[in-house]
Amino acid sequence: MGWKIIKTIGSGLGLTVYTATASAAWEVNLTPGVTDVSRSVFDLHMTIFWICVAIALVVFGVMFWSIFHHRKSRGAKAHHFHENTMVEVIWTIIPIIILVAMAVPATATLVQMYDTSEAELDVQITGYQWKWRYDYLDHELNFFSNLSTPRDQISNEADKQEHYLLEVDRHLVLPVETKIRFLLTSNDVIHSWWVPALAVKKDAIPGFINEAWTVINEPGIYRGQCAELCGKDHGFMPVVIEAVSKDDFNQWLADARVAEQAEAAAAERVWTLDELMQQGEQVYLRACAACHLPNGAGVPGAFPALKGSAVALGDVAAHIDIVLNGKSGTAMQAFRDQLSATELAAVITYERNAWGNSLGEAVSPAQIARLLTPSTGEAEQ
Amino acid sequence: MSDKPTLWQTLLSVLSGFFGVQSERNRERDFRNGRPLYYILTGLLMAGLFVVGVILLVRWALSLAGV
Repeated sequence: MGWKIIKTIGSGLGLTVYTATASAAWEVNLTPGVTDVSRSVFDLHMTIFWICVAIALVVFGVMFWSIFHHRKSRGAKAHHFHENTMVEVIWTIIPIIILVAMAVPATATLVQMYDTSEAELDVQITGYQWKWRYDYLDHELNFFSNLSTPRDQISNEADKQEHYLLEVDRHLVLPVETKIRFLLTSNDVIHSWWVPALAVKKDAIPGFINEAWTVINEPGIYRGQCAELCGKDHGFMPVVIEAVSKDDFNQWLADARVAEQAEAAAAERVWTLDELMQQGEQVYLRACAACHLPNGAGVPGAFPALKGSAVALGDVAAHIDIVLNGKSGTAMQAFRDQLSATELAAVITYERNAWGNSLGEAVSPAQIARLLTPSTGEAEQ
Repeated sequence: MSDKPTLWQTLLSVLSGFFGVQSERNRERDFRNGRPLYYILTGLLMAGLFVVGVILLVRWALSLAGV
Protein backbone atom coordinates (compact mmCIF):
# COMPACT_ATOMS: atom_id res chain seq x y z
CA MET A 1 0.00 0.00 0.00
CA GLY A 2 2.73 2.43 1.05
CA TRP A 3 4.76 1.52 -2.01
CA LYS A 4 1.73 2.04 -4.21
CA ILE A 5 1.27 5.55 -2.79
CA ILE A 6 4.91 6.40 -3.50
CA LYS A 7 4.54 5.09 -7.04
CA THR A 8 1.30 7.07 -7.49
CA ILE A 9 2.88 10.27 -6.23
CA GLY A 10 5.95 9.64 -8.38
CA SER A 11 3.92 9.18 -11.54
CA GLY A 12 1.72 12.15 -10.57
CA LEU A 13 4.71 14.44 -10.30
CA GLY A 14 6.27 13.02 -13.45
CA LEU A 15 3.27 13.92 -15.59
CA THR A 16 3.10 17.57 -16.53
CA VAL A 17 -0.52 17.28 -17.63
CA TYR A 18 -2.45 15.71 -14.79
CA THR A 19 -6.16 16.11 -15.39
CA ALA A 20 -8.93 16.22 -12.82
CA THR A 21 -10.37 12.90 -14.00
CA ALA A 22 -7.03 11.18 -13.65
CA SER A 23 -6.75 12.45 -10.10
CA ALA A 24 -9.81 10.38 -9.19
CA ALA A 25 -7.48 7.38 -9.30
CA TRP A 26 -5.27 9.01 -6.69
CA GLU A 27 -5.59 6.81 -3.64
CA VAL A 28 -4.11 9.34 -1.26
CA ASN A 29 -7.44 10.94 -0.48
CA LEU A 30 -10.37 9.52 1.48
CA THR A 31 -12.75 7.43 -0.62
CA PRO A 32 -16.23 8.87 -1.37
CA GLY A 33 -17.46 5.31 -0.81
CA VAL A 34 -20.72 3.74 -1.94
CA THR A 35 -23.23 4.86 0.72
CA ASP A 36 -24.97 8.16 1.48
CA VAL A 37 -23.15 8.31 4.82
CA SER A 38 -19.73 7.74 3.26
CA ARG A 39 -20.59 10.44 0.73
CA SER A 40 -21.41 12.96 3.48
CA VAL A 41 -18.29 11.95 5.42
CA PHE A 42 -16.27 12.59 2.27
CA ASP A 43 -17.96 15.96 1.65
CA LEU A 44 -17.37 16.95 5.27
CA HIS A 45 -13.73 15.93 4.96
CA MET A 46 -13.30 18.03 1.80
CA THR A 47 -15.08 21.06 3.32
CA ILE A 48 -12.80 21.01 6.34
CA PHE A 49 -9.79 20.38 4.12
CA TRP A 50 -10.51 23.53 2.07
CA ILE A 51 -11.10 25.55 5.26
CA CYS A 52 -7.65 24.41 6.43
CA VAL A 53 -6.16 25.37 3.04
CA ALA A 54 -7.72 28.85 3.29
CA ILE A 55 -6.43 29.33 6.84
CA ALA A 56 -2.95 28.21 5.79
CA LEU A 57 -2.94 30.59 2.82
CA VAL A 58 -3.99 33.56 4.96
CA VAL A 59 -1.68 32.82 7.90
CA PHE A 60 1.41 31.94 5.86
CA GLY A 61 0.63 34.68 3.33
CA VAL A 62 0.58 37.38 6.03
CA MET A 63 3.65 35.84 7.63
CA PHE A 64 5.73 35.68 4.45
CA TRP A 65 4.61 39.15 3.35
CA SER A 66 5.56 40.59 6.77
CA ILE A 67 8.95 38.89 6.76
CA PHE A 68 9.67 40.07 3.23
CA HIS A 69 8.28 43.59 3.58
CA HIS A 70 9.89 44.36 6.95
CA ARG A 71 13.28 42.89 6.15
CA LYS A 72 16.41 44.28 7.79
CA SER A 73 18.02 45.40 4.52
CA ARG A 74 15.19 47.90 4.13
CA GLY A 75 15.93 49.29 7.56
CA ALA A 76 13.02 47.73 9.45
CA LYS A 77 13.18 48.17 13.23
CA ALA A 78 11.46 45.75 15.61
CA HIS A 79 8.70 47.32 17.70
CA HIS A 80 8.93 46.34 21.35
CA PHE A 81 5.70 45.72 23.25
CA HIS A 82 4.62 43.15 25.77
CA GLU A 83 0.93 42.52 25.37
CA ASN A 84 -2.09 43.59 23.39
CA THR A 85 -5.34 42.36 24.84
CA MET A 86 -7.38 43.32 21.78
CA VAL A 87 -5.19 41.28 19.39
CA GLU A 88 -5.25 38.31 21.78
CA VAL A 89 -9.04 38.44 22.00
CA ILE A 90 -9.34 38.57 18.19
CA TRP A 91 -7.04 35.61 17.60
CA THR A 92 -9.01 33.61 20.16
CA ILE A 93 -12.45 34.50 18.79
CA ILE A 94 -11.68 33.77 15.14
CA PRO A 95 -10.73 30.09 15.76
CA ILE A 96 -13.83 29.69 17.95
CA ILE A 97 -16.01 30.88 15.08
CA ILE A 98 -14.22 28.59 12.61
CA LEU A 99 -14.55 25.56 14.95
CA VAL A 100 -18.26 26.18 15.52
CA ALA A 101 -18.75 26.53 11.75
CA MET A 102 -17.06 23.12 11.32
CA ALA A 103 -19.03 21.56 14.18
CA VAL A 104 -22.42 22.28 12.61
CA PRO A 105 -22.08 20.01 9.51
CA ALA A 106 -19.99 17.50 11.52
CA THR A 107 -22.78 17.12 14.09
CA ALA A 108 -25.35 16.57 11.34
CA THR A 109 -23.21 13.76 9.85
CA LEU A 110 -22.57 12.18 13.26
CA VAL A 111 -26.28 12.13 14.10
CA GLN A 112 -26.90 10.40 10.76
CA MET A 113 -24.17 7.82 11.46
CA TYR A 114 -25.62 6.89 14.85
CA ASP A 115 -29.20 6.41 13.71
CA THR A 116 -29.43 2.61 13.66
CA SER A 117 -33.24 2.56 13.85
CA GLU A 118 -35.53 0.77 11.40
CA ALA A 119 -32.96 -1.69 10.08
CA GLU A 120 -34.24 -4.43 7.79
CA LEU A 121 -31.36 -6.85 8.37
CA ASP A 122 -29.26 -7.48 11.50
CA VAL A 123 -25.75 -8.87 11.21
CA GLN A 124 -23.73 -9.63 14.32
CA ILE A 125 -20.00 -9.28 13.77
CA THR A 126 -17.68 -10.94 16.26
CA GLY A 127 -13.93 -10.39 16.26
CA TYR A 128 -11.68 -13.36 16.95
CA GLN A 129 -7.91 -13.63 16.97
CA TRP A 130 -7.62 -13.44 13.92
CA LYS A 131 -10.78 -13.77 11.90
CA TRP A 132 -14.31 -12.41 11.80
CA ARG A 133 -17.51 -14.29 12.50
CA TYR A 134 -20.75 -13.16 10.87
CA ASP A 135 -24.18 -14.07 12.28
CA TYR A 136 -27.24 -13.27 10.18
CA LEU A 137 -29.47 -12.98 13.24
CA ASP A 138 -32.81 -13.19 11.39
CA HIS A 139 -31.75 -16.11 9.19
CA GLU A 140 -30.08 -18.62 11.53
CA LEU A 141 -26.94 -18.51 9.46
CA ASN A 142 -23.43 -17.90 10.74
CA PHE A 143 -19.92 -18.53 9.54
CA PHE A 144 -16.31 -17.53 9.99
CA SER A 145 -14.43 -15.51 7.42
CA ASN A 146 -10.74 -16.45 7.29
CA LEU A 147 -7.85 -14.95 5.37
CA SER A 148 -7.37 -16.88 2.13
CA THR A 149 -4.08 -15.43 0.89
CA PRO A 150 -1.77 -18.42 0.32
CA ARG A 151 1.07 -18.81 2.82
CA ASP A 152 3.74 -18.81 0.09
CA GLN A 153 2.79 -15.24 -0.87
CA ILE A 154 3.10 -14.12 2.74
CA SER A 155 6.55 -15.71 3.05
CA ASN A 156 7.70 -14.19 -0.28
CA GLU A 157 8.00 -17.53 -2.00
CA ALA A 158 5.38 -16.53 -4.58
CA ASP A 159 4.39 -13.24 -6.20
CA LYS A 160 1.84 -11.26 -4.25
CA GLN A 161 -1.51 -11.03 -6.05
CA GLU A 162 -3.78 -8.01 -6.43
CA HIS A 163 -5.79 -8.59 -3.26
CA TYR A 164 -2.89 -9.73 -1.11
CA LEU A 165 -4.05 -9.90 2.55
CA LEU A 166 -7.43 -8.46 1.52
CA GLU A 167 -9.10 -11.74 0.50
CA VAL A 168 -11.10 -14.23 2.56
CA ASP A 169 -12.57 -17.71 2.11
CA ARG A 170 -16.17 -16.61 2.74
CA HIS A 171 -17.43 -13.13 1.87
CA LEU A 172 -19.90 -11.22 3.99
CA VAL A 173 -22.73 -11.18 1.44
CA LEU A 174 -25.13 -8.26 1.88
CA PRO A 175 -28.10 -6.97 -0.13
CA VAL A 176 -27.98 -3.49 -1.70
CA GLU A 177 -30.55 -0.77 -0.97
CA THR A 178 -31.34 -2.35 2.39
CA LYS A 179 -30.75 -0.79 5.79
CA ILE A 180 -28.40 -3.19 7.54
CA ARG A 181 -27.56 -2.90 11.22
CA PHE A 182 -24.21 -4.26 12.41
CA LEU A 183 -23.89 -5.42 16.02
CA LEU A 184 -20.21 -5.58 16.87
CA THR A 185 -18.55 -7.46 19.67
CA SER A 186 -15.46 -9.56 20.28
CA ASN A 187 -14.63 -13.00 21.57
CA ASP A 188 -11.18 -12.16 22.94
CA VAL A 189 -9.46 -8.76 22.64
CA ILE A 190 -10.53 -5.43 21.16
CA HIS A 191 -10.76 -5.47 17.37
CA SER A 192 -12.14 -2.83 15.04
CA TRP A 193 -14.22 -3.58 11.97
CA TRP A 194 -13.36 -1.11 9.23
CA VAL A 195 -14.69 -0.86 5.67
CA PRO A 196 -13.71 2.49 4.10
CA ALA A 197 -16.23 2.24 1.23
CA LEU A 198 -19.09 2.16 3.77
CA ALA A 199 -17.49 4.72 6.12
CA VAL A 200 -17.96 2.21 8.94
CA LYS A 201 -15.18 1.81 11.47
CA LYS A 202 -16.35 0.54 14.82
CA ASP A 203 -14.57 -1.09 17.74
CA ALA A 204 -15.50 -4.68 18.58
CA ILE A 205 -15.07 -4.95 22.36
CA PRO A 206 -15.50 -8.13 24.44
CA GLY A 207 -18.61 -7.85 26.63
CA PHE A 208 -20.03 -4.86 24.74
CA ILE A 209 -22.29 -4.58 21.70
CA ASN A 210 -21.53 -1.61 19.48
CA GLU A 211 -23.91 -0.62 16.72
CA ALA A 212 -23.33 0.68 13.22
CA TRP A 213 -25.41 0.65 10.06
CA THR A 214 -25.23 1.03 6.31
CA VAL A 215 -27.28 1.14 3.15
CA ILE A 216 -25.09 0.08 0.24
CA ASN A 217 -26.07 1.79 -3.02
CA GLU A 218 -23.98 -0.13 -5.55
CA PRO A 219 -23.31 -3.87 -5.92
CA GLY A 220 -19.65 -4.78 -5.71
CA ILE A 221 -16.82 -6.11 -3.59
CA TYR A 222 -15.68 -3.86 -0.76
CA ARG A 223 -12.60 -4.65 1.28
CA GLY A 224 -11.57 -3.61 4.76
CA GLN A 225 -9.32 -4.53 7.64
CA CYS A 226 -9.08 -4.80 11.39
CA ALA A 227 -8.21 -1.31 12.64
CA GLU A 228 -7.31 -2.01 16.26
CA LEU A 229 -3.99 -3.70 17.00
CA CYS A 230 -5.14 -7.11 18.25
CA GLY A 231 -2.07 -9.31 18.33
CA LYS A 232 0.25 -11.29 16.08
CA ASP A 233 -2.04 -11.60 13.05
CA HIS A 234 -3.79 -8.23 13.28
CA GLY A 235 -2.92 -7.56 9.64
CA PHE A 236 -4.22 -10.98 8.55
CA MET A 237 -7.95 -10.69 9.30
CA PRO A 238 -9.42 -8.69 6.41
CA VAL A 239 -13.07 -7.93 5.77
CA VAL A 240 -14.57 -8.64 2.34
CA ILE A 241 -18.12 -7.54 1.62
CA GLU A 242 -19.96 -8.74 -1.45
CA ALA A 243 -22.93 -6.45 -2.09
CA VAL A 244 -25.55 -8.09 -4.34
CA SER A 245 -29.12 -7.41 -5.42
CA LYS A 246 -31.92 -8.37 -3.02
CA ASP A 247 -32.91 -11.35 -5.19
CA ASP A 248 -29.34 -12.62 -5.36
CA PHE A 249 -29.06 -12.21 -1.62
CA ASN A 250 -32.13 -14.36 -0.97
CA GLN A 251 -30.82 -16.97 -3.41
CA TRP A 252 -27.45 -16.93 -1.61
CA LEU A 253 -29.19 -17.42 1.75
CA ALA A 254 -31.10 -20.44 0.41
CA ASP A 255 -27.92 -21.92 -1.12
CA ALA A 256 -26.01 -21.41 2.11
CA ARG A 257 -28.68 -23.30 4.02
CA VAL A 258 -28.61 -26.19 1.55
CA ALA A 259 -24.82 -26.32 1.82
CA GLU A 260 -25.08 -26.41 5.60
CA GLN A 261 -27.46 -29.38 5.45
CA ALA A 262 -25.20 -31.19 2.99
CA GLU A 263 -22.30 -30.61 5.36
CA ALA A 264 -24.30 -32.09 8.24
CA ALA A 265 -25.28 -35.09 6.12
CA ALA A 266 -21.66 -35.65 5.08
CA ALA A 267 -20.69 -36.03 8.72
CA GLU A 268 -22.90 -39.12 8.94
CA ARG A 269 -21.18 -41.16 6.26
CA VAL A 270 -18.00 -43.17 6.77
CA TRP A 271 -14.77 -41.32 5.91
CA THR A 272 -11.50 -43.03 5.05
CA LEU A 273 -8.24 -42.00 6.71
CA ASP A 274 -6.96 -40.59 3.38
CA GLU A 275 -10.04 -38.44 2.86
CA LEU A 276 -9.79 -37.07 6.38
CA MET A 277 -6.07 -36.39 6.01
CA GLN A 278 -6.67 -34.53 2.76
CA GLN A 279 -9.38 -32.28 4.16
CA GLY A 280 -7.59 -32.05 7.49
CA GLU A 281 -4.55 -30.47 5.87
CA GLN A 282 -6.69 -27.72 4.32
CA VAL A 283 -8.49 -27.06 7.59
CA TYR A 284 -5.21 -27.07 9.48
CA LEU A 285 -3.63 -24.49 7.17
CA ARG A 286 -6.69 -22.27 7.45
CA ALA A 287 -7.50 -22.54 11.15
CA CYS A 288 -4.42 -23.78 13.01
CA ALA A 289 -1.26 -22.93 11.07
CA ALA A 290 -1.25 -19.26 12.08
CA CYS A 291 -0.10 -20.28 15.56
CA HIS A 292 1.11 -23.89 15.36
CA LEU A 293 2.81 -23.23 11.99
CA PRO A 294 2.27 -25.25 8.78
CA ASN A 295 4.92 -27.80 9.84
CA GLY A 296 3.38 -28.28 13.31
CA ALA A 297 6.53 -26.97 15.03
CA GLY A 298 4.72 -24.16 16.89
CA VAL A 299 6.51 -21.12 18.28
CA PRO A 300 8.55 -22.00 21.38
CA GLY A 301 7.34 -20.07 24.41
CA ALA A 302 4.14 -18.91 22.73
CA PHE A 303 2.39 -21.65 20.77
CA PRO A 304 3.16 -25.32 21.56
CA ALA A 305 4.41 -27.69 18.86
CA LEU A 306 1.96 -30.37 17.69
CA LYS A 307 4.66 -32.46 16.09
CA GLY A 308 5.48 -35.14 18.64
CA SER A 309 3.33 -33.42 21.28
CA ALA A 310 1.80 -35.25 24.24
CA VAL A 311 -1.70 -34.07 23.27
CA ALA A 312 -1.50 -35.02 19.59
CA LEU A 313 -0.02 -38.42 20.38
CA GLY A 314 -1.90 -39.04 23.64
CA ASP A 315 -5.46 -39.85 24.61
CA VAL A 316 -7.79 -39.03 21.72
CA ALA A 317 -10.60 -37.81 24.01
CA ALA A 318 -8.28 -35.21 25.57
CA HIS A 319 -7.13 -34.11 22.10
CA ILE A 320 -10.73 -33.72 20.90
CA ASP A 321 -11.59 -31.81 24.07
CA ILE A 322 -8.85 -29.23 23.67
CA VAL A 323 -9.71 -28.61 19.99
CA LEU A 324 -13.45 -28.34 20.65
CA ASN A 325 -13.34 -26.35 23.87
CA GLY A 326 -9.99 -24.60 23.80
CA LYS A 327 -7.76 -24.16 26.80
CA SER A 328 -8.59 -21.29 29.14
CA GLY A 329 -5.77 -18.95 30.01
CA THR A 330 -4.03 -19.59 26.70
CA ALA A 331 -4.49 -18.43 23.11
CA MET A 332 -6.01 -21.83 22.23
CA GLN A 333 -9.56 -21.07 21.08
CA ALA A 334 -12.66 -23.26 21.25
CA PHE A 335 -13.24 -24.46 17.70
CA ARG A 336 -16.59 -26.18 18.31
CA ASP A 337 -18.52 -23.27 16.73
CA GLN A 338 -15.86 -22.38 14.20
CA LEU A 339 -15.58 -25.66 12.31
CA SER A 340 -18.07 -28.30 11.20
CA ALA A 341 -18.03 -31.83 12.62
CA THR A 342 -16.30 -33.10 9.47
CA GLU A 343 -13.69 -30.37 9.57
CA LEU A 344 -13.00 -31.00 13.26
CA ALA A 345 -12.66 -34.75 12.73
CA ALA A 346 -10.43 -34.16 9.71
CA VAL A 347 -8.11 -31.72 11.42
CA ILE A 348 -7.76 -33.84 14.55
CA THR A 349 -7.01 -36.88 12.39
CA TYR A 350 -4.49 -34.80 10.47
CA GLU A 351 -2.73 -33.61 13.63
CA ARG A 352 -2.40 -37.21 14.85
CA ASN A 353 -0.96 -38.43 11.54
CA ALA A 354 1.07 -35.60 9.99
CA TRP A 355 4.71 -34.46 10.28
CA GLY A 356 5.86 -37.82 11.61
CA ASN A 357 2.99 -38.20 14.06
CA SER A 358 1.63 -41.56 12.91
CA LEU A 359 -1.03 -43.10 15.05
CA GLY A 360 -2.82 -44.48 11.98
CA GLU A 361 -6.24 -44.00 13.55
CA ALA A 362 -9.03 -41.79 12.21
CA VAL A 363 -11.44 -39.70 14.26
CA SER A 364 -14.85 -40.07 12.62
CA PRO A 365 -17.01 -37.03 11.80
CA ALA A 366 -20.04 -38.84 13.25
CA GLN A 367 -18.24 -39.21 16.58
CA ILE A 368 -17.57 -35.43 16.67
CA ALA A 369 -21.13 -34.64 15.53
CA ARG A 370 -22.48 -36.47 18.60
CA LEU A 371 -20.24 -34.33 20.85
CA LEU A 372 -21.45 -31.14 19.16
CA THR A 373 -25.20 -31.77 19.34
CA PRO A 374 -25.81 -30.73 22.98
CA SER A 375 -24.91 -27.09 22.25
CA THR A 376 -24.48 -26.24 18.61
CA GLY A 377 -26.15 -22.86 19.16
CA GLU A 378 -24.80 -19.60 20.44
CA ALA A 379 -22.17 -19.99 23.10
CA GLU A 380 -22.20 -16.29 23.81
CA GLN A 381 -25.36 -14.27 24.24
CA MET B 1 -11.95 53.68 49.13
CA SER B 2 -11.36 49.95 49.18
CA ASP B 3 -9.72 48.50 46.05
CA LYS B 4 -11.33 45.08 46.51
CA PRO B 5 -12.67 43.69 43.22
CA THR B 6 -16.45 43.85 42.98
CA LEU B 7 -18.57 40.77 42.35
CA TRP B 8 -18.89 41.85 38.72
CA GLN B 9 -15.11 42.22 38.35
CA THR B 10 -14.54 38.80 39.94
CA LEU B 11 -16.99 37.25 37.49
CA LEU B 12 -15.31 38.94 34.53
CA SER B 13 -11.88 37.76 35.69
CA VAL B 14 -13.11 34.15 35.99
CA LEU B 15 -14.71 34.34 32.53
CA SER B 16 -11.52 35.75 31.02
CA GLY B 17 -9.76 32.79 32.64
CA PHE B 18 -12.17 30.49 30.77
CA PHE B 19 -11.49 32.45 27.59
CA GLY B 20 -7.74 32.42 28.13
CA VAL B 21 -7.01 36.14 27.74
CA GLN B 22 -6.73 38.70 30.57
CA SER B 23 -5.26 42.21 30.58
CA GLU B 24 -2.20 42.81 32.70
CA ARG B 25 -3.98 45.68 34.58
CA ASN B 26 -6.85 43.42 35.75
CA ARG B 27 -4.47 40.63 36.63
CA GLU B 28 -2.46 42.93 38.93
CA ARG B 29 -5.66 44.24 40.54
CA ASP B 30 -6.93 40.69 41.21
CA PHE B 31 -3.66 39.43 42.65
CA ARG B 32 -3.08 42.50 44.85
CA ASN B 33 -6.55 42.93 46.32
CA GLY B 34 -8.58 39.79 45.64
CA ARG B 35 -9.22 36.79 47.89
CA PRO B 36 -8.57 33.40 46.21
CA LEU B 37 -11.66 31.80 47.80
CA TYR B 38 -14.05 34.09 45.87
CA TYR B 39 -12.38 33.22 42.56
CA ILE B 40 -12.44 29.50 43.31
CA LEU B 41 -16.14 29.55 44.25
CA THR B 42 -17.04 31.64 41.19
CA GLY B 43 -14.94 29.32 39.03
CA LEU B 44 -16.75 26.21 40.32
CA LEU B 45 -20.11 27.87 39.74
CA MET B 46 -19.16 28.88 36.19
CA ALA B 47 -17.80 25.39 35.44
CA GLY B 48 -21.16 23.95 36.58
CA LEU B 49 -23.03 26.40 34.36
CA PHE B 50 -20.73 25.49 31.44
CA VAL B 51 -21.55 21.78 31.84
CA VAL B 52 -25.28 22.55 31.99
CA GLY B 53 -24.84 24.76 28.92
CA VAL B 54 -23.16 21.95 26.96
CA ILE B 55 -25.93 19.52 27.96
CA LEU B 56 -28.61 21.98 26.80
CA LEU B 57 -26.70 22.59 23.54
CA VAL B 58 -26.56 18.85 22.81
CA ARG B 59 -30.26 18.42 23.63
CA TRP B 60 -31.11 21.29 21.34
CA ALA B 61 -28.94 19.90 18.49
CA LEU B 62 -30.54 16.46 18.87
CA SER B 63 -34.05 17.91 18.92
CA LEU B 64 -33.24 19.73 15.68
CA ALA B 65 -32.14 16.40 14.20
CA GLY B 66 -35.41 14.83 15.33
CA VAL B 67 -33.91 12.32 17.77
